[in-house]
Amino acid sequence: MNDNGQATILQVEQLNVYYDTFHAVRNVSFEVRAGEIFGLLGPNGAGKTSTLAAIEGLLQPRSGKIHVAGYDIAEKKKYARASMGVQLQATSFQPELLVPEIIQLYAGVYGVEMNKQKVDSILKEIELSSASSKRFGQLSGGQQQRVSLVIAMIHNPELVLLDEPTTGLDPQSRRQLWERMENMRSKKHGILVTTHSMEEAESVCDRIAIIDHGQIIAIDEPQRLIDLHRDDPKVISVSRRGRITLEDVFIGLTGKQIRS
Amino acid sequence: MQTKIPSTSNVMTTLLRADFITQWRNRRSVIMVLLVPVIIVISWKSLVARLGGPFVLSNCITVGLTAIGLMGYTNSIARDRDKGIFQRLRVAPVPSWSIMMSRLVVQLVMILLVTLGVFFAGYYFDKISMPMQGYSLAFICALVGGAVYLSLGQVIVGLIQNPETVSSTTRLVYFAFIMVGMFGELGVLGKEIGEIVKWSPYGAVKRIISDSLQPGAWNIHSSIALLVTFGYTMIFSVLGINWFKWNSR
Ligand SMILES: Nc1ncnc2c1ncn2[C@@H]1O[C@H](COP(=O)(O)OP(=O)(O)OP(=O)(O)O)[C@@H](O)[C@H]1O
Ligand SMILES: [Mg+2]
Repeated sequence: MNDNGQATILQVEQLNVYYDTFHAVRNVSFEVRAGEIFGLLGPNGAGKTSTLAAIEGLLQPRSGKIHVAGYDIAEKKKYARASMGVQLQATSFQPELLVPEIIQLYAGVYGVEMNKQKVDSILKEIELSSASSKRFGQLSGGQQQRVSLVIAMIHNPELVLLDEPTTGLDPQSRRQLWERMENMRSKKHGILVTTHSMEEAESVCDRIAIIDHGQIIAIDEPQRLIDLHRDDPKVISVSRRGRITLEDVFIGLTGKQIRS
Repeated sequence: MQTKIPSTSNVMTTLLRADFITQWRNRRSVIMVLLVPVIIVISWKSLVARLGGPFVLSNCITVGLTAIGLMGYTNSIARDRDKGIFQRLRVAPVPSWSIMMSRLVVQLVMILLVTLGVFFAGYYFDKISMPMQGYSLAFICALVGGAVYLSLGQVIVGLIQNPETVSSTTRLVYFAFIMVGMFGELGVLGKEIGEIVKWSPYGAVKRIISDSLQPGAWNIHSSIALLVTFGYTMIFSVLGINWFKWNSR
C-alpha cells in the first residue's frame, strides 16, 4: 500500500542497467499502482525498453530492486513473471503458426484453460475472426500487433507491460486498445506503457515519467506536468500555438536535439 | 487475483505441440533432410557388395544426422532468436530449459525418421537386411550420434548471432563433413586424412552405427569411438550452452 491507499503492483527502486560499460538506466525508481495507467516517455535510446527488460527479468541489472505484485524478480522470478503480461517492442511469434494456435500456445504456457469457443471469442474481440486460418507471418503489421497485445492480457495479469503498443495501429485499433487498457484499469490492474505519442500519454495515462539518458527527469500527472512547467522559458520557446502542450513540456525538458 | 504457475508438464506439452506444428508446416525442408540420405542409399546400390551393408547404411544415416543437427536445428534456433520468439516465451513463467528441450525432442524424432527411412530404403532397394538386434542398437547409436551434431549446432549459434551467417556457416560445415567424411573414409584423400576422419565426429558416429548394426562386430575400437562421441557431445554442449545468448542484440 502507498500513501494513496492503493496497492503497489510494480515497484522499481534505484535501478541501474549497464551494457558492458554503457550505463543505459541510471538510478531509476518509480511505482505503478493498482488501477493506474503509468506512461514511460522518452526520446529514442532513453532507456525505456531496457527498464522494461529488467522488470521482465530478461536482463540482469547491475543494481536495484524490482517487485512485481509483491514478488522480487530476482528471487521469485517465476511468480513475478506469472503476474505480468508482456508485449515486447520487437515481439514475434512463429510465423508458421495460425493465430488460434498462438493463442493456444500462450494459454498453455500461462496455464489458462482454453477451448474452441474461447479462442473464437478472442479472435472476434480483436476482429481477426476472418484471419483465423492465416499464419501469423501472413498478417499485416497492425494485425500482428493486435495478436501480440491480446496475448499480453491472456492470463488476466495484475501488471501489464506494453512497449510502444500503438505503433503501427490504425486509429480504430488504437482506440480499442485504449478502451481495453481503461477496462483493465477499472478492474484494478496496473498498466505500464511506453509511447512516443503525447496524445496517447495525455488521454490515457494517469501518471507519466519522462526518462532521458537513462534518468527519470519528471514524474507526475500529465496535466500537472504541464501546469508545473508552463512558465519554463525552455518550454515556452518550443511551444508552437501559444498553448502549452505535453509535447512542449517533453521537448522543453529533453531538448530539441535528435538522439543518435 | 492469484498467481497461477502452470505445471512444467503442461508447459512441455504445449511447447511440443507448437514446435511439432511448426516443423510440420516446414515439411518441404524436412523432406529434403530425409530424402538426401535415402537417395544416397538407393544410388549406392551397386557398392553394397563391395563395401558391405553396414558401411552403406551407417554412412547415409550419418549424412542425415549431420543435416538435422547442422541445418535443421541450428537454423531454426538462429531464426527464432533473431525474430524475438525466444524472448517472448522467456517472459512467461516457463523454465528456459523447457524451451530448448522441446526443440530438441522434435529433432530426436527427426533422427528416428531418418534412421527408419535409411533402413527401409536399404531393405527394399539394396536388399540390405540386418538382425533385429542390430537395428535396435543402431537406433540408439543414431540418437547418441545425432547429439554430437545437435551440440555442434549449438556451438555455432553460440558463436554467431546473425541468422544468415549461421545459415552459410552450417552449410559450409555440412558439406565439409560430408565430403571429407565420405571420401576420407573411402581412402580417396590419403592415409593421414583417413586417420583424422576416423576419429572426427563424422567417423566416430559412423563407426558406432556401423558396428552396432552387426552384433558380432563391436570391438574395442567401437567402444573407443562411442567414448569419443560422448566426449564431442560433452565439449560441444558445454561450450554451446555457455556461449548461447537468447537475444540477438
Ligand atoms: N543489447 C544492447 N547492447 C548495447 N547497448 C544497448 C543494448 N540494448 C540497448 N542498448 C543501448 O541502451 C540505450 C537504451 O536503449 P533502449 O532500447 O532501452 O531505448 P528506448 O528508450 O527503448 O528507445 P526507443 O524509443 O528507440 O525504443 C540505447 O543507447 C541503446 O543503444
Ligand atoms: Mg524501446
